[in-house]
Amino acid sequence: MSGFLGAHDTIRDWNALMKIKNSRQEINRRTALTAGSVGALSMLNWKLPIIANAAQIKANAKSCILLWMGGGPSQFETWDPKSGHSNGGETQSVQTSIPGVNLAMGLKETASIADELCIIRSMNGPEGSHPRASYVTQTGYLPTASVKYPAIGSHVAQHLGDADANLPSFVRIGNTRNSAKAGLLGVDFDPFLLSSAERLPDNTQIQTTESRYKRRLGLLNQLEDDASDDGSKKAVIANRKLYGKASRMILSPEMDAFDLSKESPSSREAYGDGSFAAGCLMARRLVETGVTFVEVASSNWDTHFDNFSRTTDLCAEVDLPFAQLVRDLKQRGMLDSTLVVWLGEFGRTPRINGRGGRDHYPRAYSMAMAGCGIKGGQVIGQTDDGGVEITDRPVKVNDLLHTLYTVLGVEPEFENLSSIGRPIKIVENGSLIDGVM
Amino acid sequence: MHLRSFAVTAALTAFISVFSAQSPCAAQSFVDVAVEVDRLINEETQPSEINRCDDETFVRRVYLDVVGQLPSLDDILVFGLEDHPDKRRFLLEFVLDDQDYGTNWANYWRDVITYRRTNDQSQLGVLAFQQYLAESLNENKPWDEIARDLITASGDIRENGETGLIAAQQGRPEETVSEISRIFMGIQIQCAQCHDHPTDQWTRQQFHELAAFFPRVAMRPQMDPRTFLVYAIDRTPRNRRQNNNNRFIGTLEHNMPNLENPAEEGPVITPKFFMNDKEVVIGTSDASRRSTLADWVTDSNNQWFAKAVTNRMWSELVGEGFCEPVDDLGPDRDVTAPEAFDYLAGQFAASGYDLKWLIATIMSTESYQRESRDRRNYDEVPFQANVPQPLRSDQLFDSLLNVFELEEKPPTSNAQGPNPFNLRNVPRFGFANVFGYDPNNLREEVSTSIPQALAMMNSTFINQQLNAAPNSVLGKLLREVPDNQQAVKELYLRVLSRRPNRSELNTSLTYIRQVGDRSEAFADLIWALINTTEFKTRK
Repeated sequence: MSGFLGAHDTIRDWNALMKIKNSRQEINRRTALTAGSVGALSMLNWKLPIIANAAQIKANAKSCILLWMGGGPSQFETWDPKSGHSNGGETQSVQTSIPGVNLAMGLKETASIADELCIIRSMNGPEGSHPRASYVTQTGYLPTASVKYPAIGSHVAQHLGDADANLPSFVRIGNTRNSAKAGLLGVDFDPFLLSSAERLPDNTQIQTTESRYKRRLGLLNQLEDDASDDGSKKAVIANRKLYGKASRMILSPEMDAFDLSKESPSSREAYGDGSFAAGCLMARRLVETGVTFVEVASSNWDTHFDNFSRTTDLCAEVDLPFAQLVRDLKQRGMLDSTLVVWLGEFGRTPRINGRGGRDHYPRAYSMAMAGCGIKGGQVIGQTDDGGVEITDRPVKVNDLLHTLYTVLGVEPEFENLSSIGRPIKIVENGSLIDGVM
Repeated sequence: MHLRSFAVTAALTAFISVFSAQSPCAAQSFVDVAVEVDRLINEETQPSEINRCDDETFVRRVYLDVVGQLPSLDDILVFGLEDHPDKRRFLLEFVLDDQDYGTNWANYWRDVITYRRTNDQSQLGVLAFQQYLAESLNENKPWDEIARDLITASGDIRENGETGLIAAQQGRPEETVSEISRIFMGIQIQCAQCHDHPTDQWTRQQFHELAAFFPRVAMRPQMDPRTFLVYAIDRTPRNRRQNNNNRFIGTLEHNMPNLENPAEEGPVITPKFFMNDKEVVIGTSDASRRSTLADWVTDSNNQWFAKAVTNRMWSELVGEGFCEPVDDLGPDRDVTAPEAFDYLAGQFAASGYDLKWLIATIMSTESYQRESRDRRNYDEVPFQANVPQPLRSDQLFDSLLNVFELEEKPPTSNAQGPNPFNLRNVPRFGFANVFGYDPNNLREEVSTSIPQALAMMNSTFINQQLNAAPNSVLGKLLREVPDNQQAVKELYLRVLSRRPNRSELNTSLTYIRQVGDRSEAFADLIWALINTTEFKTRK
């Protein structure tokens, strides 16, 4: 009960916040209305409302790129090799610049940027099925029927995103099964989805000439003004604002960020081949353009059979793009303000099964991160020789989430309200991982 | 989709007796009940100064509300010309008799239940679930029987649609009973899962006593064909291995977890129903537990059973619930017009939980038939006008099919293709990925998204319809209606189900003149009309 008594204060704060939010919306509405009447005066020459350059405003803000390793990547073939132990299998290891720290051979490129990395080898999760573990990792909560918990990107977009930017604040690239969305935060904070970085996002190409497109929008505005109905004024205003925003987005120069053909051949080459590489490059372009949160998925890590050869291929897809992303951000002076996170829903079993595979293992697994003030060149936590148990500094999923939000400057215990007025913290019962920052 | 056409007076009057004869019990005439509901609301709020909506608005509203589609041009015109004083009643009886009534409300209930799923694998059974709902609604199966079906279901989720609610929660006892309580009684008892309810009288003990009706149920995967079985055990299973905390197999009794020490099993809980304090003994079979629960939930002494669905239907149709959110009722909640609510829910129970009767009654009230106004502010008088609602994804999808006269290939299990989980191959579901919303949420909090605007403006699906191909709606219009003014009027009827006002007509004609190319101008006009707020709203 005491938690709820405390919550009343928060509800009051929340009301105050809502008031601020509403007054902001009023201003936006007014802008939208003015823009609309410009269109009405000159239907054939519809003007896009001019807004400040979002990238400029966001220049100093923090961003995050989440590299989501869907399926549950094997820690033995990536961050916590056990060559020499039977559980380690055939996987060889490679030395990093951190004394005494080796990575699996598949992460050769990554080993060369270890100075930037904080590797955690003592992750501990509560769930072993893909949907539930993905949900809990991305939201900090188990799925429930009554509350739809927001994904990391949705929270970060709500707190750090620029609502007036031309591009969406949260972009998700690639095939992401089992992924949470904005839930109780509402569609404004849903991820903008791209099935692949190798083609432009759906429906962002206008189907006519730009002048005809603007003319159509002018006609739409004029007809909505003409309609005598006075029963849906609020919705008309919201619709106009939405179409204004959608149109500004697709006609804006920032849309180039989605177009990898604008990138030089040499920089494409530096990221390597494949759709994950393209996603990483696009993530850098998007963050550079002012997008707050980008998720890029690599999705075939569920290696129940042929673990060794499959993880070899998967590492080849992921290793260079990840390393190059970190290098590229650093070179451009963006790494200090961009958090890069390499994470999946769980790890894989120490024992190699009869089909040469590894099964789901949430008990002890690994992840890595870089940038945004994270202390690089370190490993947190460790597992025993066979990788079965955590022997030092266990890190729960909610500790990790608490830490990620803290690094980004988002208050992890900020409360939102569910549809029936229940206060919901971004993360419950998490604590900052010592030494990360 | 059927082309519906509204017949003339003589045929119309024939429907009067048809409909009332269908009601199974000696329900009071829905018209009389509607009059009494209006009287009580007037007393409890204040008399409204908003007019009844005009005929064009009424026809479109009734079609979208009942069959989830737009009226045909003929339907609108015939209804306008008809001068029988009871024509509104005839119309809604006529439309409630259409098979698309079941389809439309099946889509609604599917969304009510599956938007809250905690298990995506349940989507494998969504077509069967939809079909079960549509058939049950079309045969006007009483609401208590539908509730019983959903609570007691077992079997293959791709074969037996009754399993939809349980499958959505993978048969997990806590989640499943929370949903049963929320959907059938409007009681959000799940808040008491970890601690006594902060704003209600329910306790954590009561929550777990409810969960104790469901421990034996689970959802077991089947390969070849890929599916799941909602399946219960009545003996200790030989293999109790829980695979990665997937709920593949149940347990004989429910244990209330010890929050201090989650590893501990916690005390065994006796199934007991918090509404009547009756219990069934430990050891009772699954079939008996669940049918007892169904008996008690649907018992006529449990006022919440009738109230939950009455509140939902009222809220969907009038735009504002007696209680909001629609699924948050209970003894400690504020109610708008409580006497009207009690009376309507009581009459619905007396009708034998007849859903068509309930809908016809609500649609016969003045509260329903008034013009719509923006949602009121909290300090304004309730129930003074109908409230515009954003179309649900299926309604919008069907409206687009109506406008462009397109047929949908009915989705079948085969359409799910080699990957049966992939419902994106079904255009309706792909559309819902962008346009869908959870109908349990407050409608004022349902907002539109940028991907929606982009799809409406730029999708190839829509723009292909604007090429003026000879057999397309646009092509035919250009060919068959040479007069621009006439063609604009017809387009308005087709897209917005009404005639244009004078300024709209002027704007359209000026636009056509300025553009010059007639086919291009009309394509732009259709494009603009389907992008209006009005097209995407049921007002």
